[in-house]
Amino acid sequence: MKNILLVATREYKQIAATRGFWVMLLVLPLVIGVTQIAGRFFRPQLNSAYVLVDASGQFESAIDRRLNLNYQRLELGAFSAYVQRWNLQSIAPDAIWAKGERWFNDAQIEQFVADGGIAPALATIQPHLPKDAPLYDIDPPTYIRAPLPAGINAADGPDAIATALADELQNEIDTPDGKRPLALVAYIPATPGTETPVRMWTNGAPNQSLVDNVRNEITRIQRSQALQASGLTPEASANIMDISTPINLSAPPQGGGREQVVIRSALPLVMVYLLLVTVMTTGSMMLQGVIEERSNKLLESILATIRPADLMYGKLLGLGAIGLTILAVWVAAAVGAAFFVQGMVADIVKPSLSAIEPWMFVAMLFYFLAGYLIISMLYLAIGALSNSLQDAQAYLMPVIMLIMLPTIFMMLSVVQQPNGVFPIIMSWIPLYTPFAMLARLGAGVDFIEVLGTGLMLIVFVGVEMLLLGRLFQASLLRTGQPPKLGAFLGMMLGKNTG
Amino acid sequence: MSILKLDHVVKRFGDFTAVNDLTFSVPEGGIFGFLGGNGAGKTTSLRMALDIIRPTSGSIEILGRKPGRENASQIGFLPEERGLYRRMTVLDTIVYFGRLKGMEAVDARREATRLIERFGLGEWTKSMVEKLSKGMSQKVQVAAAMVNKPRLLILDEPFSGLDPVNQKVLEDLVLEMAQAGSTVVFSTHIMQHAERLTNRIVLLARGRKVFEGTQEEARATLPGRLTLTSQHDPSSLHGVVSAKRSGSADSWSTWDVALKPGATPGELLQACTSGGFALRGFESHRPSLHDVFIHLVGPEQETTP
Repeated sequence: MKNILLVATREYKQIAATRGFWVMLLVLPLVIGVTQIAGRFFRPQLNSAYVLVDASGQFESAIDRRLNLNYQRLELGAFSAYVQRWNLQSIAPDAIWAKGERWFNDAQIEQFVADGGIAPALATIQPHLPKDAPLYDIDPPTYIRAPLPAGINAADGPDAIATALADELQNEIDTPDGKRPLALVAYIPATPGTETPVRMWTNGAPNQSLVDNVRNEITRIQRSQALQASGLTPEASANIMDISTPINLSAPPQGGGREQVVIRSALPLVMVYLLLVTVMTTGSMMLQGVIEERSNKLLESILATIRPADLMYGKLLGLGAIGLTILAVWVAAAVGAAFFVQGMVADIVKPSLSAIEPWMFVAMLFYFLAGYLIISMLYLAIGALSNSLQDAQAYLMPVIMLIMLPTIFMMLSVVQQPNGVFPIIMSWIPLYTPFAMLARLGAGVDFIEVLGTGLMLIVFVGVEMLLLGRLFQASLLRTGQPPKLGAFLGMMLGKNTG
Repeated sequence: MSILKLDHVVKRFGDFTAVNDLTFSVPEGGIFGFLGGNGAGKTTSLRMALDIIRPTSGSIEILGRKPGRENASQIGFLPEERGLYRRMTVLDTIVYFGRLKGMEAVDARREATRLIERFGLGEWTKSMVEKLSKGMSQKVQVAAAMVNKPRLLILDEPFSGLDPVNQKVLEDLVLEMAQAGSTVVFSTHIMQHAERLTNRIVLLARGRKVFEGTQEEARATLPGRLTLTSQHDPSSLHGVVSAKRSGSADSWSTWDVALKPGATPGELLQACTSGGFALRGFESHRPSLHDVFIHLVGPEQETTP
């Protein structure tokens, strides 16, 4: 055992001293960090500005009101979903935001605004927020009206206004909230119609909802005027214009239904991904190490002091420790990031963890280590058979394809249908069992299936260690061309072992 | 007591017999030469003694036990094909091998440091092996073999690849180890080293033993040769097989004389003196191990003299 640990320590130190190891170790934390920093500092501005020139004087206030109502509707909807997500309805059961996310009509929105909008609602729930709930983030108004810059007059006409605002349309314009990208300039003539249409200029960014809102509001007012001109009272025409079909939409609550299955599978699927990446990477390092020992002719010195089997176990242990180090650092980085990104712990990490019973953690660790052993042994045997990296590539490519392709298809299949035929078949093919079972654990797997595949894996790993161990031993001091199939099988069966 | 004993050992690789019915023993103490041309079976025999490979038949005893890694703490081994971990320091390399042979870390470190200084590599102690010259790398390998102060030191072609200066350093070290009580077994096809260092030798050819014994016993297998200067033909003298005139001056002739096996030049000189056979010159030729090898094995298995 002492010699196994010595070999393992040497392997670990040698790999830990390489640049490649540190690049790999730090790449995920770096990517997470850069993504977070970039997300915080380079977050695009959510709102933009519009300039409205209404020569008729009839539409201006209605358009401003409509845009504000739409913003308040979005905000009320988001806040209602937040209240529902964190089960805060009981704090003020009669409040409009306590009745779930739904369609709010204009009257309800106006009442909400008249009551003070989002600020007093937020103050009501704040003392009752659960510890892990992120603070509700109030979005700024989607569109801010900018006044005409000094030196431009509404009376100058549409073309002169458009020419004067050409620079702002390419860049930004001053608004009461500061500079904002100018998304739209709209000019409404004194009598909009076919001869004198409403003119609009945009900055080319996708602001279709802004254009639609302005146009719809003008249209709505004109239709109302037409209805009144045909004899209807203003109240009757307003009632007709306010007609909208009531819809009662049923959907699983946020974090439930299909979303819940995906969230619960998050951790096991991440484990599959980590297993694949770490085993492929550390496997390559192990393979290079064995080839170095063979090509450097130092194996004979080592084999005079240590049994080939102990050398193999030492390598597996050392490389396993490297894999676990990478795994631990990545998991720590991911957990750190989850806490850093408010709400992710509650939205993804906790549901994912809560879906996994304690025995499943043991199963996950078992499948991870078994998968690691199975693939590492293949790499080790390939290293022992190869005289150079070129030799190794010839063996390696088919093996990687054999592992990667079905595993990727299986992962996609598990997200769609965790207990479908394909993932279940894969669960009983030993080479893929660790990947398939890890991926399926989050969606719920019978204990008996875990037990059955676990026993099968133990037997398979034992047989693999025996056969590939013989191959490893017989190949260590072999010289010349890589063996042909007959010799290959002979070595595995314990013949021609030298 | 024998420190290494091979008894009717056979090793086959498929249809090829690398070692054929090999029996010999190495007594404890001294320096033992394991001689033979390329492909004679030297490396295969040593690998079997170290349990790196197993014999097809026959038995081996080393340090009074069966071959196995449990003997590693008392054995030092320098293989013919040598290599080191390129990305390890000189000190760590030697300590690593010491630890694999069961040494405590502190002891391995102390002995490694001593050997590094002994080999003149002090300033390279913390250097990566990849930065060393070939000669320096070989010294590190030798140090790794000796770090555990082995009872039995096995060196497979230890002088190959070393320049004359480093060959001398290694020769001195081998003598030092032997004087300190270690038994040294080294294989070589360079007879000069064997001639200078060994007490006993085994000669191998095509996997078979052709001789085992001391250097003198090996030389005795060759007919003695000498050159003498006399007035008369020495062919009729006792112990002489043949005499061939190689030159003459005045009435004196120079003769190349071959003796019968077992007959010594001293006996011939005594016979000349007592028989009144006048001599002006008498020079005996001591056969080299190379001559012995050619005589026993044949020129097709020739070694480096």
